[in-house]
Amino acid sequence: MEANNGQTKAGDWRTYQRVLLPPVKDLHRLDVYEQHGGYTALRTVLTDARWEPKAVTEEVKASGLRGRGGAGFSTGLKWSFMPPVDDRPRYLCCNGDESEPGTFKDRQLMEYNPHLVFEGILIACYAMSINTCYLYVRGEYADWISHMERELEKLYAKGYVGENIMGTGFSTDIVIHKGAGAYICGEESSLMESLEGKRAYPRIKPPFPAQKGLWGYPTTINNVETLACVPLIINNGAAWYAGIGAERHPGPVLYGISGHVNKPGVYEYPTGMLITDLIYEVCGGIRGGKKLKAVVPGGSSTPVLRADQIEGVTMDAESLREAGSMMGTAGMLVMDEDTDMVSFLRRVTHFYHHESCGQCTPCREGTGWLENLVTRIDEGEGHLRDLDLLLDLCTQMEGRTVCALADAAAWPVRHTIQRFREEFEARCKPSVFPTGDGAPAEAVPAS
Amino acid sequence: MPQVTIDGQVYDFEGGSKLLQFCLDHGLELPHFCYHPALSIPANCRQCLVEVGMPVKDRQTGELKRNEDGSPVIQFFPKLQTSCSVDLADGMVVKTHRTSDLVARAQEDNLEFLLINHPLDCPICDQAGHCPLQIQAYKYGPEGSRFEFRKVHKPKRVRLGPRVMLDAERCINCTRCTRFTDEVSKSHQLTIISRGVKNYPMTPPNTEFDEPYSMNVVDICPVGALTAVDARFKARIWEMSSTPSITTANAKGSNCFYWVRDNLVMKVTPRTNMAVNEFWLPDEDRLDYHRFNDDRPEGPQVRTDAGLVPVSWEQAYDRAAALLQGVDPARVLFLGSAYATVEDNYLLAQLAQALGAEAPRYIPHVEPGHGDGWLRTDDRTPNAQGCERLGILPVDEALVQARLADGEIAAVYVLEDDPVAAGLFTAAQLADIPVVLHHYNTTNQTLAAADVALPAATVVETIGTYVNCDGRAQRVRPAKAIRGVNRTLMMEMGKTRADQHGTPFDRWYNEAHQVDCKPGWESLPGVAERLGHAFRFKGPKQIMQQVAERVPAFAGATYEAMGLTGVQLADIGETV
Ligand SMILES: Cc1cc2nc3c(=O)[nH]c(=O)nc-3n(C[C@H](O)[C@H](O)[C@H](O)COP(=O)(O)O)c2cc1C
Ligand code: SF4
Ligand code: SF4
Ligand code: FES
Repeated sequence: MEANNGQTKAGDWRTYQRVLLPPVKDLHRLDVYEQHGGYTALRTVLTDARWEPKAVTEEVKASGLRGRGGAGFSTGLKWSFMPPVDDRPRYLCCNGDESEPGTFKDRQLMEYNPHLVFEGILIACYAMSINTCYLYVRGEYADWISHMERELEKLYAKGYVGENIMGTGFSTDIVIHKGAGAYICGEESSLMESLEGKRAYPRIKPPFPAQKGLWGYPTTINNVETLACVPLIINNGAAWYAGIGAERHPGPVLYGISGHVNKPGVYEYPTGMLITDLIYEVCGGIRGGKKLKAVVPGGSSTPVLRADQIEGVTMDAESLREAGSMMGTAGMLVMDEDTDMVSFLRRVTHFYHHESCGQCTPCREGTGWLENLVTRIDEGEGHLRDLDLLLDLCTQMEGRTVCALADAAAWPVRHTIQRFREEFEARCKPSVFPTGDGAPAEAVPAS
Repeated sequence: MPQVTIDGQVYDFEGGSKLLQFCLDHGLELPHFCYHPALSIPANCRQCLVEVGMPVKDRQTGELKRNEDGSPVIQFFPKLQTSCSVDLADGMVVKTHRTSDLVARAQEDNLEFLLINHPLDCPICDQAGHCPLQIQAYKYGPEGSRFEFRKVHKPKRVRLGPRVMLDAERCINCTRCTRFTDEVSKSHQLTIISRGVKNYPMTPPNTEFDEPYSMNVVDICPVGALTAVDARFKARIWEMSSTPSITTANAKGSNCFYWVRDNLVMKVTPRTNMAVNEFWLPDEDRLDYHRFNDDRPEGPQVRTDAGLVPVSWEQAYDRAAALLQGVDPARVLFLGSAYATVEDNYLLAQLAQALGAEAPRYIPHVEPGHGDGWLRTDDRTPNAQGCERLGILPVDEALVQARLADGEIAAVYVLEDDPVAAGLFTAAQLADIPVVLHHYNTTNQTLAAADVALPAATVVETIGTYVNCDGRAQRVRPAKAIRGVNRTLMMEMGKTRADQHGTPFDRWYNEAHQVDCKPGWESLPGVAERLGHAFRFKGPKQIMQQVAERVPAFAGATYEAMGLTGVQLADIGETV
């Protein structure tokens, strides 16, 4: 396989040792977590004079860690946007809303390694001098919420969260907040509105959360997986982290792979893995020995790639951008040769139509119209001109809204049509018919 | 001074301003829906998109980068920006739809979206004719629609509260109404419910939208989604003419427009005056117009053995003069009125003085607890301050009763008030005393005791001045015609009045619903003349000119100075 002849930037993933989800039984329990070195990173930053809060941020910056929530923004850089400490409150929000179709990796952390997330939160709070973190988890994860609440209670009892953590004088609370079931609550500004008890309408930016966030105070929002990387960076150093996987998008990453593969699931590997390795080696290939047709690399909003577009493409922002897609959440959807791309797109457009918060015009109206059109095509009632209209509507939505949901709704439409145009055309009613016997009544002779 | 370039034209600016507001202030129209100067900026309608660029600075030197011709290099934001939310910055370069096809196209695209699920029922919509959606769709929207699906259906004819109706299908989700209740009236009675294309504003469960300012959302709603229960389907906007004036349901003197069709007031809407009511009106001010239309008297009357009988104005004046001549002036009680204009009260005071009577008094109508520190006041009259400033003081009820008992009151002259309803006298107490009454409505209880009844022009039929609770003198203008007033004497009352769009629809010479009444500044001189005191004024403007010259508390309050927004008078200290 090409994977071995240097094309993958992920190093030898076959011998990779898991660090986010290490194979330790009952790691979710505080005692087990501690037996395996848990909370040493926190203790180190809180007690070792070397770890000024600023130094923690610098270390995270140096590690090259990029957000795992979808946008892939440098985490250390984001932290450095927080204004200098003054007498105002400051907040951290840990984003566990995980609602993008095809994405189910944060749940794995919440279930198997929640203390890594808590420890990451506490270190991040220390680095930014924050005393309150809200861990916002989608309401559907009820079981995982109560599971984490149990563990959090133990942490409070042990003095690892709350007042005077580990006797160091540093205090931080963690509040687990249960969402009420809307995808839009995962958008960071909307998450803050939701926390404030308001309707989850995303805010216009600027101002950015670091200037005016939760309740108007400086706030940083990070994904669950992003924060879980932080203790690892402290324990092993920025250089160690930066050396894992793709050079400009390094680190371990949880690939949530679903669709027509033999072994779907969440896999921890370095970034920068060949998509083909993930499908054929990690997931045991396509179900039933079928041929691959399409891959959506990072959650339903990232542009779909045709099988012939993924050769040599690796899972990191740069390689995927070149290929015409994005890393997103690394929630990969794999589709085999029997997949009906029209029907696939219909399902995707339905999702974004259902989840648009309805605040801004192009998204509120456009998402429904997209679904209408794709549905009509799927049902064999579409016209060829509908395809051009769909692309037009994408242009009318992209980049013209308050938040990125409209983009997330438009990209799959644009790229699925562009990359599978014949399939869509074949589903549309012909615009010209052969004349003569058997031609439908409305037939227009081809000229 | 910092500068911004808009469509190639350079403008100076001072202080912070949003780009959209700056454009509007400079006569550059930009289509928009959700932006309102008094509300927070959600930038949700996405209609006001423009291209925005900034000069590029050299990273090292911090100097502006320049083109070969010396002009600064401008870098445009990759995305179109909502002008309502963009802060002006020095050197900013803006392209609107006038110079950018991209912007024009984006505005058109957005209107196409706004209309796909809109019911397009303009022919039966009260907002049609002054609807921002309708107007901007014509100006900036696409010619047709490419939408070929069933529209989304939402609740219609929903009574949000006693005074406001919702048609959710017309709603474009601009959130102006919910922001009003959150940020301005702070009643928090409205919120958007549901999600996505099914969104619409609603009250929380088991509550009504009944706050005292609820009807403001009807004006700020940029479509016909919110309508006033009171005004629905009564009159199209182009059938009415609007006249700038003030409301008189309380002492605030909020600025308003009276909307009139065929000499009937159909509705009252706020008129912006940042010094008084900003953009708003309380519901009580808006609903205070039926008394201008209903229960109006039909000409003057005098009492005979057969009760009150209609007479000519001359006969009525004769009778009033005869009654006053027959008694000792010191025993005539003149009652001014906090409902009447400064001009009318002034003439009454002049008359009392000419006859040698005591200065008039007025009846206060104060309802403790009614005021809210905003646009509603405890005082339910519009001109108590005007009276006080003329030296017309509140009547002392106990003193009046004592004088009555002593037979010290031989005649009562009432300017536009109802002393019987106010409890100053009973009708029986007045039975044997001559009473001259100027009255607005036939429901006036003092009519039962009146010997001469002179129908008076209301605030929408006269010209005059009111002084609000904060000492602001403001003018009113005739919004509807009355019988028997020489129109040419009524300054600024032309032969025709144009409606908002220049159509002379409501004509002054339309005879329908003209009330046979007269403003005090016509009827008071009529009475005075017969008592040998000629008041030589050409009209209310001249009267006010004299008041401003002779009464120090009115210094500066000329018609010119008052204009459309009034003048603040010097403080005169404590008043009731
Ligand atoms: C519509 C929408 C939904 C989103 N949902 C999530 C989500 O469920 N979880 C998440 O971590 N980020 C989500 N994001 C991204 C967040 O806005 C934000 O970028 C992220 O939480 C930042 O964390 P990171 O820098 O650690 O990636 C969403 C963004 C959009 C536009
Ligand atoms: S883009 Fe869509 S989801 Fe985002 S704020 Fe606008 S309407 Fe809401
Ligand atoms: S009802 Fe009117 S004001 Fe309220 S959100 Fe809808 S369009 Fe805007
Ligand atoms: S006016 Fe609505 S987005 Fe600017």
